[in-house]
Amino acid sequence: MTTADRLTGPAPAPGAQSPAERAAGSTVRKRPRPARSGRRRRRAVALLYLLPALLPYTLFAVLPLLHTAYLSLFDWDGVTLPSFVGLDNYGRIVTDPQLRAAAWHAGALILFFSVLPICLGLVSAAIVSRRAGRRGTTLVRTVLFLPQVIPLVAVGILWRWVYAEDGTLNQALRAIGLGGLTDAWLGSFTWALPAVGLIGSWVVSGLCMVLFLSGTQRIDPEIYEAARMDGAGPVREFMAITVPLLRPEFAVALSITVIAALSSFDLIYITTGGGPGNSTVVPGILIYRLAFGGGAVGVASALAIVLTVVISLAVLVINRLSREAP
Amino acid sequence: MSPSPSSLSRRTFLTATGAVGAAALTACSDLTPGASSSEKSSSGPVSTAIPADEKITLVVADADDTTMTPGLIAAFRKKHPNITVKRNYTGWDDYLKSINTTMSADSAPDIAQFTSGMQNLVPGRLLLKVGEYGKAYGWAEKFPGLDQITLTPDGKTVGTGDLYGVGAGLSFEGVYYNKAKAQKLGLTVPPATLDELEALFVKAKAAGETALVAGNLDGGLNHPFNVLLSAYLTPKDREAWAYGHQSATIVLPEAEKAAETLKRWVDEGYVTPKVNGVSDNDATAAFAKGEGVFRISGNWAAAAVAEGLGEGAGYFNMPPVTSGGKVRTTGAGVYYCVSSKSKNAAAVAAFLDFTAGAEAAAITAKAGFMAPDAGAMPSQSGLLGDVQQGWQTVVKDAGLQPFIQNSSSPTMGDTLTTQLQLLAGDKVTAEKFLAGLQTDFENYHK
Repeated sequence: MTTADRLTGPAPAPGAQSPAERAAGSTVRKRPRPARSGRRRRRAVALLYLLPALLPYTLFAVLPLLHTAYLSLFDWDGVTLPSFVGLDNYGRIVTDPQLRAAAWHAGALILFFSVLPICLGLVSAAIVSRRAGRRGTTLVRTVLFLPQVIPLVAVGILWRWVYAEDGTLNQALRAIGLGGLTDAWLGSFTWALPAVGLIGSWVVSGLCMVLFLSGTQRIDPEIYEAARMDGAGPVREFMAITVPLLRPEFAVALSITVIAALSSFDLIYITTGGGPGNSTVVPGILIYRLAFGGGAVGVASALAIVLTVVISLAVLVINRLSREAP
Repeated sequence: MSPSPSSLSRRTFLTATGAVGAAALTACSDLTPGASSSEKSSSGPVSTAIPADEKITLVVADADDTTMTPGLIAAFRKKHPNITVKRNYTGWDDYLKSINTTMSADSAPDIAQFTSGMQNLVPGRLLLKVGEYGKAYGWAEKFPGLDQITLTPDGKTVGTGDLYGVGAGLSFEGVYYNKAKAQKLGLTVPPATLDELEALFVKAKAAGETALVAGNLDGGLNHPFNVLLSAYLTPKDREAWAYGHQSATIVLPEAEKAAETLKRWVDEGYVTPKVNGVSDNDATAAFAKGEGVFRISGNWAAAAVAEGLGEGAGYFNMPPVTSGGKVRTTGAGVYYCVSSKSKNAAAVAAFLDFTAGAEAAAITAKAGFMAPDAGAMPSQSGLLGDVQQGWQTVVKDAGLQPFIQNSSSPTMGDTLTTQLQLLAGDKVTAEKFLAGLQTDFENYHK
């Protein structure tokens, strides 16, 4: 018996025969197809179906990842011969103060990429779903989802104008008599990180709303009716029914947005490039700087591996927590 | 017990992934990094003759957003009908980050614009030593600033070692000013010393003007800082550090004076307010639109400034520390280097030599660069004429110095931007600012 059979459980069908028997030509009668060889063939067919997806996935995702892990063990400038340094690059990551700052910034971005959009998405989903079918809801849904459709580079350039010294935000502040509050937002050591974070919130909120909207449609309307019979208002309904029953959507939204926060690069690269000073530096920016500008491919690879592990762990934890019964 | 579908599919998946992975790994024997960097990098016996009956194709990779490179290519093709020159243009930022990979590829371009960060290609033997061609053509007499593309075998030090290319168009920095406003405010230009320049800033500020238009969102304060360093530092100290010489340092009293001057300019409000939130390009655009009085930038900005301010645009060289001192400023230029993988080195050398000629000088000057053959540049009027005159003084005083961030270390561009933002944001002292630059330098040159 092969290992495969042990794993999948024995299921000898009547009339099963060994290959030797078949080879001897002892079977003449027509009879049902032997189950074991059928399963094997099904497995082969399944593999064949998987192949078109599996091949590119392995070539373009699994192998580069393994290669990155391999490169992280070298001191390499990207051009000349590398030298093997073992885990030294990982040691550098742990001790570098700039990297610690980057980790903090990424953590702060979770607030803007996950917490805020999920709250906003939830509220807007509740509002939109209560008014389902009325005029304008489709428009609202589309408008809120629109940022998700625009390429992040374009988003970054757009918001650079919004945040500029004489940009839309400052113009608006001046128009309502708050000219004293204006600032060059992306150049401010205090405001650059929140400013960039809010761009993220703007982008992700629409996605969260659509996720939650599809979730609310799954909830049985009778539950709401029952609650209304008991005299629950819209707020009570929202807190007691909608929020708890959207648990799976929370998990999905949280996973997607936490990944976006921790691996953020393009938005920050376009808007601040990590500045002013190091106040918006995130791991993605550092990986890019180290690998392409600084000629430190080994350290960059090590950082990329650590980031991948951290993100995977975060997503794993989120999924574990969300699976538990409420 | 029925077979569990999940274990079946997981097993199938793992087996398949393993099989595909193993196959792919065997297929790529090149996974060892740097395995293919054993090209020859000497040109061997050379001649200045180009095969005239042979069809030759050259590829040029560059980040030159002026009309110079395409103009030179077109003129060269006209002169040599048998040589086809293809151009691969990439925007500056992307070029910096991708050129090392491009040059490592088997299909590397024959000629590439040399930029900071490409030093690594020298120890990788991916650049051709063109010294022999230089001797045959006599480039030492034709091109100024060849030391900026002369490197040691480890690529870490500039100014000594082998020649890897030529500078076809040179750039340098100086002070632009708004003539109308200078007149209105009664400012006498050009100032004879740095102190006099600062006195003009004080006057402009008192009249409610932005004295010095600048943008530091992407580190544009490096322009004033570089020219201040040029004025204060001795050329020897400046070049040793900018070219990445072993044990060079920027933690010097003169450099501190330069950094303190810049910080004072920001703190006193001479510089564009909230300078960390303005990009360098936007600063040039604002100045060209009539904002502020002075702007320290390079000759590449001359065209934009002239277009915006017209007759009202003026230029003078950055003044020295003491009156009558030699004029020193910062500059770089478009340098071309050659791939060691090029199969047509003779034709490439002919192109490099062509850029030094009188015909090329007209094209180079029209694009706003200073041509190697300064005498052959057609004389220009207005702002471009003023800039050209300034260049002649710089050449006479041998005052062209390298940017400190270009070849001191591969990461210095980012580090300088970061440190300048900290300095302008009042987060560090001049002393700590210089120490930050020095740390980056020593991390690379250890």
